[in-house]
Amino acid sequence: MTAPRQFLKGNEALAYGALHAGLQSFYGYPITPSSEVPETLATQVGRPEYPEFRTFLQAASEVEAINLMLGAAATGEKTMTATSGPGFSLMQEGISYAHGAELPMLIANVNRAGPGLGNLGPEQTDYFAAVKGGGHGGYRNVVLAPDSVPEMASFPSLGFSLAFRYRTPVILLTDAFLGQLKEDLEFPTIESPTFDTPWAATGARGTTRHVLSSMHIELPEQNLVSRHLRDKFAEITRREQRSEELETRGARVVFVAYGICARLAQRAVRVLRDRSVPVGLFRPITLAPFPRDRLRALVDEGVRSFVVVELNTGQMVEDVRLAVDGAAPVRSMNQFGGLLPSYRDLVDEIGALAA
Amino acid sequence: MKTEVILAGHGGQGVLELANWLAYFHLARGRHVAYTPSYGPETRGGKVKCYVVASDEPIDSPIVEEPDLLVAMNIPSMDYLPLLKRGGRLLVNSSLVKDARSRADVTVTEVPAAGIAAALGPYSPQKGRDTSIAANSVMLGAVLAIEGEELERQRATVEEVFRHFLTERKAAYIPLNVQAVEDGYRHVRGAPPLLRAIPV
Amino acid sequence: MIAASAPREAKFGPSSIWTGTPTHYCAGCEHGTLTHLIAKALAERDARERTVMVSSVGCSVFAHEYLDLDSVQAPHGRAPAVMTGIKRAHPELLVFSVQGDGDAASIGLLELLHAANRGEPITIFMVNNAIYGMTGGQMAPTTPVGMVTTTSPEGRSVPQAGYPLDTTKLVASLEGPAYVRRVFFPISPTPAPDFFNARGALEGMQAVRHAFDAQEKGGFAFVEFVSTCSVNWKMSVLDAKRYAAQVLAPLFPSGVLRDRFGLERR
Repeated sequence: MTAPRQFLKGNEALAYGALHAGLQSFYGYPITPSSEVPETLATQVGRPEYPEFRTFLQAASEVEAINLMLGAAATGEKTMTATSGPGFSLMQEGISYAHGAELPMLIANVNRAGPGLGNLGPEQTDYFAAVKGGGHGGYRNVVLAPDSVPEMASFPSLGFSLAFRYRTPVILLTDAFLGQLKEDLEFPTIESPTFDTPWAATGARGTTRHVLSSMHIELPEQNLVSRHLRDKFAEITRREQRSEELETRGARVVFVAYGICARLAQRAVRVLRDRSVPVGLFRPITLAPFPRDRLRALVDEGVRSFVVVELNTGQMVEDVRLAVDGAAPVRSMNQFGGLLPSYRDLVDEIGALAA
Repeated sequence: MKTEVILAGHGGQGVLELANWLAYFHLARGRHVAYTPSYGPETRGGKVKCYVVASDEPIDSPIVEEPDLLVAMNIPSMDYLPLLKRGGRLLVNSSLVKDARSRADVTVTEVPAAGIAAALGPYSPQKGRDTSIAANSVMLGAVLAIEGEELERQRATVEEVFRHFLTERKAAYIPLNVQAVEDGYRHVRGAPPLLRAIPV
Repeated sequence: MIAASAPREAKFGPSSIWTGTPTHYCAGCEHGTLTHLIAKALAERDARERTVMVSSVGCSVFAHEYLDLDSVQAPHGRAPAVMTGIKRAHPELLVFSVQGDGDAASIGLLELLHAANRGEPITIFMVNNAIYGMTGGQMAPTTPVGMVTTTSPEGRSVPQAGYPLDTTKLVASLEGPAYVRRVFFPISPTPAPDFFNARGALEGMQAVRHAFDAQEKGGFAFVEFVSTCSVNWKMSVLDAKRYAAQVLAPLFPSGVLRDRFGLERR
């Protein structure tokens, strides 16, 4: 008897998902709890199953890794890295340059706990760094948040599609729990799309040459470029908001949660619905652009209040409040320091609201 | 069907391995599974702790907060006892945990896992070696018995589990581990260990 | 359009890879000379369509204004990493960068040494003028002891700032590189009063060619060009040349430190 499905860690699924999506190069530096991504990919480079995956390089630091990616991305290659908080901090310079030169790339951040070295437990404290931009110069990342091992496998493909369609870095923001969680999955049928990259620097042709630079020394030129980047993210915001809902029809109170917190909230919603309490779950899939249109629409559909559950001291709650814009109260439920809330805490919170 | 298990012990007891085997057994039976090492809402207990959820339905939260079964491989693991569901099962490695205190509303099963595993020595392909290391396989058999699996019908599944995890050099240990599962299972079902011919 | 490959003996004069834009470099600066030599060497091997330049941060940052090539801008110090990413994706490309001493020897030392140690087939030209030129004359890791800069107003002192860093020696201490050379690049004073020789430019031309040859043979190539910065040294152009000959030449001696492919023997 052969197992009908695979049994993979989130980090392993992420690695295989990237390979299925046509990954060409991986540059990274080991850091817990993301190291299974490079460890998995190191075994696959040069294998006939993934002919496009030709380059795996363990960099000397996260700073070197992101700059190796700048070079690879400048040639139009599908390149990615995986890291955790301290490494993500070191990559901010390179991410800013990638925005300035409009280079597509995929950066997975398996969020661990606390500032500094912190601990290895799960947190969602890098929400601000990813969503609001952790580096200089006012860029906006596209940020995707999977909530399961199957999504860890399928999101690299989505990430590359968005990265190349809009020539932008895409952050895959996950956490230590989802990175280490193992689930069964039928490996999703993943498209390995090819993209036109007429902008890529692979040698000047005739009168055409490619200059990929974030430097615009003349003031009006920098203004035009910054305006273009602003308009690009406005277009992404119009077209690419993604979210998922559970039992929001008829709900009076709705949890807003992503990643592992969305899984906890799923259980809380099931328990409460069994008790005929009208609650639902709204799960942002794109943390940026934040799915504000659909969230705001829930108010018109009768939702009276929102409870934001996240593993930090309150970050996404700010975006929820902006989206709801005062039309309904928004409460914040937090746990942090590597710990998770209990689903019963969520149930009790609603009990208090319903009372 | 849905079962939620917490398995706990200390490093070197093969607790994570046992949890992986259990999860893969259920996966091979066509169920959804979730396995998580270490993380959760509480911080007490043994040094190694993990969750295994198996269900016919898709799994919402993979975090086990009220287990149906607690597998306690050492004394500190007993700290998780208060979490156990009313009417739940406590499986104790009585090779290490003596006089397990318990709760009136749970059923305790004691399995001297290391002893059962060590007794396999003369009969195992690893004759003459200390086979007590297979204690975690004994516990897998005990868990399957408690969960109501019919081992006679699932022998191929158990073998498949070990073939998945014990590859290359480790493949030589598959027969020993299958025997350990059998004896752990039989112990819980109140049957004596199988009589096996001493391999020559 | 691409001009036909120029004969190899052509040493100076305009190149098909030169955009024609006048350079912004100060009078007496060696950056402009090096940029011309690179244009010449690439034109000789008809390499425009298979070359990607990485612009570093420093006075070389505008190189893409002058060289009609594909180019990618690297963050400060990171050019060797960006070059590696390009080269690994497209091994058939000729990939090079002009870095300054601040870029390569200070903020980018990690990227330089690791690319060198891996023996990446890329070419790095480092212009060492012993000071931060573009940002206005601050102390560099290569600044000689005693030199006054805006951030060492009493002159560089060893207890405060350590010794000048010998980048070429560091690179040559690694197994990875295939070609490592240092060239004294400025025109230099001769025994005859007020006469200068231009041997550095001829030597530089040869070094540039060999550094590209080494890359095409699959090796890491690094050439340091000891240079001047009269503006930030606060000297006349000719005094800067004299200072370089007196102070920098002994501190950073010229020579071929690694020649794995025997390029210098031909």
